[in-house]
Amino acid sequence: MTNLYYFDHAASAPRRDEVADAMQRWQHGVVGNPSGSHRAAREARRAVEEARDEIAAFVGAKPGGVIFTGGGTESCHLAVTGVANHHRRHHDSTSIVVSRIEHHAVIDAVESMARDHPSVSVRYVDVDGDGVLDLGSLATALRGDTAVVSVMCANNETGVLQPLDGVGSLARAVAPNGVPTHSDAVAAAPWLNLAEATASMDMISICAHKIGGPVSSGALILRGDVAIDAVVPGGGQERGRRGGTVDVAAAVGLATAARLTAKERDEVTVRVAGYQQQLCTALSPLEGCAITAPGATRLPGTVHVTFEGLASDELLFLLDQAGVCAAAASSCSSGAAIASHVLAAMGMAPERARGSLRLSMGGETTQEDVDALIVILTSVVERLRLEA
Amino acid sequence: MKVLVAMSGGVDSSVAAGLLIEQGHEVVGATLRLWGGASDSGCCSVADVDDARRVAQTLGIDHHVFNYTEEFERHVVAPFVAGHAAGQSPNPCIECNRHIKFDLLFERAARLGFDAVATGHHAQVLSRQGQHFLVRGADDQKDQSYVLGYLSGEQLAVLLLPIGAMRKSDVRREAERLGLRTWDKPDSQDVCFIEASKGREVFLRSRINLTPATIVDRRSGEELGQTPAAELMTIGQRRGVLPGRDGEKRYVAKVDIARKRVEVGRLDEILVSTILLDGSSLTFSHEELEDSTTVLAQWSAHGRAQPATLRHGDECGRGWWLQLHSPARPVAPGQSVVFYRANEPEIVEGAAIVVGS
Repeated sequence: MTNLYYFDHAASAPRRDEVADAMQRWQHGVVGNPSGSHRAAREARRAVEEARDEIAAFVGAKPGGVIFTGGGTESCHLAVTGVANHHRRHHDSTSIVVSRIEHHAVIDAVESMARDHPSVSVRYVDVDGDGVLDLGSLATALRGDTAVVSVMCANNETGVLQPLDGVGSLARAVAPNGVPTHSDAVAAAPWLNLAEATASMDMISICAHKIGGPVSSGALILRGDVAIDAVVPGGGQERGRRGGTVDVAAAVGLATAARLTAKERDEVTVRVAGYQQQLCTALSPLEGCAITAPGATRLPGTVHVTFEGLASDELLFLLDQAGVCAAAASSCSSGAAIASHVLAAMGMAPERARGSLRLSMGGETTQEDVDALIVILTSVVERLRLEA
Repeated sequence: MKVLVAMSGGVDSSVAAGLLIEQGHEVVGATLRLWGGASDSGCCSVADVDDARRVAQTLGIDHHVFNYTEEFERHVVAPFVAGHAAGQSPNPCIECNRHIKFDLLFERAARLGFDAVATGHHAQVLSRQGQHFLVRGADDQKDQSYVLGYLSGEQLAVLLLPIGAMRKSDVRREAERLGLRTWDKPDSQDVCFIEASKGREVFLRSRINLTPATIVDRRSGEELGQTPAAELMTIGQRRGVLPGRDGEKRYVAKVDIARKRVEVGRLDEILVSTILLDGSSLTFSHEELEDSTTVLAQWSAHGRAQPATLRHGDECGRGWWLQLHSPARPVAPGQSVVFYRANEPEIVEGAAIVVGS
């Protein structure tokens, strides 16, 4: 049996045992509907509200602003279309401003709104060669009719951090009352103190499975008083902002994962940043290898590289054969690696982007994993160069 | 052997993978993602990738998806569109086999450490005295040797065609025996990047301006009608062409996009006895055939092979051409003609693209 070297935390992090334990109580026997009035419902409701308190603390917001959702994609969708829909009902013209490097959760949501509603338009904000948002381009894009601006906290492919304080300042300055801001913090959540990193944002999206919790569990957190229309109105749950029975186990799982993440963050960040440095140092000398966004501040867990003249498909195949789980970071619904809109927005040539590899780590990553990865990846690249 | 099986998500390649496993090979499945646009047919949809993946799971083998959408656009779709714009009728399935499956995929398989590549085509590889020959599939209704006509002897040496000796009904029975969910999946018929519900015209209109043209009787010069798109008229076709005033059927003899004119004629007026070949496309499985070799020539996937003499020389500046032993309907430029051996009519000798007839 081949050893497993897991370098795809950014796709889904290993599930934490403590999360499974905490959720277990809510996955057997009678689990009340938190909206009910009897003792089983009250018990469930208490667990949900305790989870809500923990999520509020995790991002630095008030518990009343926490909306439990079915994951990061739903959170992002609710943020941008929920606010834009509300705006659209009260204005003749609605524009949505997003960065070119947003996750498809945001881009596809706003594109479908623009397609369905003639009064809605989307304006994209450029990034520089390192994938950092261009605040000048943002200033040009913001208008009086802008309903919402969405800029991710850190990019999921490259790990590059975005200047959210600048985004917040510019958005607040738009006349007459400023523009609500949303930040997709799904990729950043394992690494950054979101209370600080997203302090200038009105809405933050997170999900559980990037921090060791269950999939299909996330939250949109509203910091201030943001007017938002529910995407799924349903039975008025979550203060009318997200219909449907709240999944107690999912909420508890998210909260437990968040608590553990915050507790371990300092130790994990320092240790994994060391691995990141080691990986970059070891991979840089390989023929045709370039570290992506070398000039930008990146999340410690992400090493995005490109290999000139090689194809992601082949790198991933041989890595997989040797037990290394990695990703090209952008793939279509069939599972095939496809051209990344993020790298294209950075001005990277398509031929270069074809040889992309994202190696992403987490708290469970060990020194042995990193040492093994370096040996395996070096031999894979050398082999492909030899065969080419 | 370590074998990479190209799995389209259809029943043939599913069974090919299953049989190779039973033969004791180390098998990995790969599905090629070729077409990124809309599709409702053929072998490129996400549903087909799902089928291939599920079959691989059932068989207990690894499965990967390789993205060749850029290469497919460059080698197959763009030339298909450009060919039509020039009044030609290229065969995209042949181009896909040539450039993607048997060029890029073979190279990749070698780089990734595989000893052989397998597909679910209905054709066979015959090895004789150290040489490898492509042979028609055992099921003559399903034979796909035509679309594999450009394979070289070296490529055939590392190609496995596990279902080529089987009849289609047996393939389906095997799939059922192996518990594969594709056992009753209908055969793909159409070009994968053209939606069957919309057709070639809608696809071409999304890429190029189509040319309205006058349909003219070649002999009398009489105008018989109009076509909204000369690019959709294929030399030799009768469909869509009204009969002449004499009530007799008319066939397309010439498509002239520049002059917006499609010439038609009665069958006896348009028959040809030579087919001119593009020398740069000419491929032989092994040695180049000598001038004046008799072959059996086939120029459509399910057409009948016709006796012909392969000629080569400077006569009329023709380069390579086929002298047909009996006259035939003209063949559209861009189509491929595959040569089968005259005395062993199952064996493929080579192939070339038609430039005219």
